[in-house]
Amino acid sequence: MKVRKLSEEKNILYVQTSGVDTPERTYAPFILATTAVAMGLDATIYFVIKGVSVVKRGEAEKIKLGDFPSLKEIMDQAVKAGVKLEVCEQSCMLLGLGRGDFVEDAKVVGAATLNDRLLDADAVMCF
Amino acid sequence: MQTEFRPNRILDALGLYCPEPVFRTRVELDRMAVGEVLEVFADDPAAEEDIKSLVRRTGNDVLRLKKDGSVLQFLIRKVR
Repeated sequence: MKVRKLSEEKNILYVQTSGVDTPERTYAPFILATTAVAMGLDATIYFVIKGVSVVKRGEAEKIKLGDFPSLKEIMDQAVKAGVKLEVCEQSCMLLGLGRGDFVEDAKVVGAATLNDRLLDADAVMCF
Repeated sequence: MQTEFRPNRILDALGLYCPEPVFRTRVELDRMAVGEVLEVFADDPAAEEDIKSLVRRTGNDVLRLKKDGSVLQFLIRKVR
């Protein structure tokens, strides 16, 4: 049986594995995803491994590089545009971070959902 | 009018974290006959999307998903 896609739009999945210890790697997925939505595509960012630190409450406010706005502003802009944020909460346990306490726009999902998103995506990019 | 479905099997996955609720749901579905209904209780927030994904990918049906606080209650029909 062919599995139906959830959305008829083309969609891009950005997988964020880098954390706030490499702030230069945290901006691009938000900027690309916001641009994708502007192009009429669906865009989701999945935060896994150290990437979960990016969506821990209070962390994005601390990151501001060069002449860019703070990461929090870039994140809020992405959410407002319709970019979906999904988090692997189990990564917190891997890293010894407390569970939960994510920005309110981030939805906790797990392994089955990431596999599903990967199969459904028209393109995947990992940071 | 909502139809009432009586579960043939009940899986208690409360207190278990990803990916255990998904694994155990799969094991239960494998033990069931086509047409039977499985009720799953889980409180891992990841289980909501994960169990939906599992059920969709395996070609089965989520008949109902209810949330009571942090507790998710799925009714799943084995279709194949």
